Amino acid sequence: MKIKLIFLLFIALYAVLIIRLFFLQVIYSPLSKSVYLKTNKLNPIRGRIYDMKDQSLVLNQNSYQLYVEPKKIEDKDRLLRLLSESLEIEEASISPKLDMSKDWVAIASGLTQEQKDKIDKLNLKEVGFDYQTKRFYPEASLSAHILGFLGKDSEGEDVGYLGLEGFYNRDLRGLPGFVETERDVAGRPILIGVQQRVEPENGRDLILTIDKNIQEINKRRLLEGLEKYKAKKGCVITADPKTMAILSLVCLPDYDIEKYYLFNENFYKNLAISELYEPGSVFKPLIVAAALEEKKIKADDIYNETGQVAVGEYNIKTWNDKYEGKISMTRILEKSSNVGMVYIGEKLGNKKIYSYLEKYGFGQNTGIDLEGEASGYLKPQNNWYPIDYATVTFGQGIAVTPIQMIRAFASIINGGNLMKPYIVQKIVSENKTTEIKPKVEKKIISKSTSDIIRKMLVSTVENAEAKWDRPKGFSVGGKTGTAQVPIKGFYDASKTIASFIGFAPASDPKFLTFVVLYEPQTSIWGSETAAPLFFEIAKDLIVYYNISPSQ
Amino acid sequence: MKNIFLKTTGLIMTGLIIANLFVVISGIVISDEINSFEKKTDILHKANLTLEKEVANLGSLKFAQEQAKEFGFTNSTAPQYIDQLKYAYVK
Repeated sequence: MKIKLIFLLFIALYAVLIIRLFFLQVIYSPLSKSVYLKTNKLNPIRGRIYDMKDQSLVLNQNSYQLYVEPKKIEDKDRLLRLLSESLEIEEASISPKLDMSKDWVAIASGLTQEQKDKIDKLNLKEVGFDYQTKRFYPEASLSAHILGFLGKDSEGEDVGYLGLEGFYNRDLRGLPGFVETERDVAGRPILIGVQQRVEPENGRDLILTIDKNIQEINKRRLLEGLEKYKAKKGCVITADPKTMAILSLVCLPDYDIEKYYLFNENFYKNLAISELYEPGSVFKPLIVAAALEEKKIKADDIYNETGQVAVGEYNIKTWNDKYEGKISMTRILEKSSNVGMVYIGEKLGNKKIYSYLEKYGFGQNTGIDLEGEASGYLKPQNNWYPIDYATVTFGQGIAVTPIQMIRAFASIINGGNLMKPYIVQKIVSENKTTEIKPKVEKKIISKSTSDIIRKMLVSTVENAEAKWDRPKGFSVGGKTGTAQVPIKGFYDASKTIASFIGFAPASDPKFLTFVVLYEPQTSIWGSETAAPLFFEIAKDLIVYYNISPSQ
Repeated sequence: MKNIFLKTTGLIMTGLIIANLFVVISGIVISDEINSFEKKTDILHKANLTLEKEVANLGSLKFAQEQAKEFGFTNSTAPQYIDQLKYAYVK
């Protein structure tokens, strides 16, 4: 009898167990699964960014998001006061976030380890932290426009905006993985249970062509230049003219890359690739190179500069309305003669002018690997009037970006190759390194034409009407530019865009630097603002590259 | 015969229970180790990022400028030859 009773008791207990298991595993299956099966997303580490010498420009850093569980709050005022003191945020900014009806609310993100430790010591049971990483910039905002920034998309996921962060977002972000493990009540993995782990693929690192030392030189000099010449804004681009590898690209004003959200969107705009402007006289060497290539002129051909030139109902004159009589083609560049350029344009012919504008890549994207490039505008040839062909020879009536301008200019001094500008030279993943090589897009002029125009540009610097504090003993080539700013269909003579594009050493250019100043107030002329600034930069670069004097 | 069967079954059952206990305890020990390694990996990962930051700060231009100021490497060490060419030709 007793044995039978024990037997029935066991049967009853087993029945209870089976029914309970049936409820847990079948009826409440999804709920019970979540109790023991832990699935975590494994976030990939975002790719880092280094300069050409493997010096860090962007890294990742530990960061924490502070959250509060409102339902656990006992003394709201005390919590607000303590958080406000620790985070150095006004109580009024934290209070609206504390929605008491919610289980979980995020209060602040981007907290450092030190801030977290400080709050941990307060032993606030309603406060917790989620681990995150955030971008860290060892050189602060030295390259804000090049790098772009990391923000959030509509779903709260990290996404790169502008510059390299935007252009290479897919490479930088990597692919997330996940881990799924069955855990016991203490959170230990149950070895005989489900154990699945898919490793994340970390983002790829970028190695740039940018040299942070040149970047620092250009930024410091540009800042000094903007203050000295009271210009509204400005850009300096330095490139290797043979490859169009961008060594430095700085535009001011820029923004604090770590606190980008405090700045107006206008500050995000990279003027070097996004802003269209009329280039003015820096454009002249491009037309002269085309005329030399087509054998329509020779460097020592003579033009009789007698006075203003009429084109339709318009009169074209030199910048100072002074004329020298018989002058060579080189002298036309030296004195930046607009009437001389109209003559060269006529010799070249309208069709050839337009065809060379297309060859130089105006009106098209350069393809630089930065997000936010504008393509410029080259109106269709059937909309061109005779005055357009005349003015374009001295860089008016055409809208270009600084990056298009420096690329076209590089092509006439590097032997005639139109190169694709680029900023990333290597993309490094965990098991592969992809090298990005310089790309020749077109052959525009011959090497011999390029040699001639380079000599003409050296002569332009040496015999220019303005006398600059040039680095003595070094051969430098270049050209100034002063373009008036069109406002409502008219040119405002008091507002100009002053520029200078130059290279050194002239025989085998190591660098090509383009300086653009928008609306300088101390002088409207490029020769008195952008050119001196260029020579300051050139001196620094000559020292930096250890270039020996040639004269 | 019946006794031998019962004894054998008892021994097998005891053996299985001991083996089961061993597997369960080993599992718990290994799970603890996994947990501990996960935590250590996490700490190492965070420490790596912190060290990377410190290394980058030491190699930064900002730090170099601070050091240059501290040690007086400023105007007095600017190259002379760029403005006074004769220094470039001094042998």
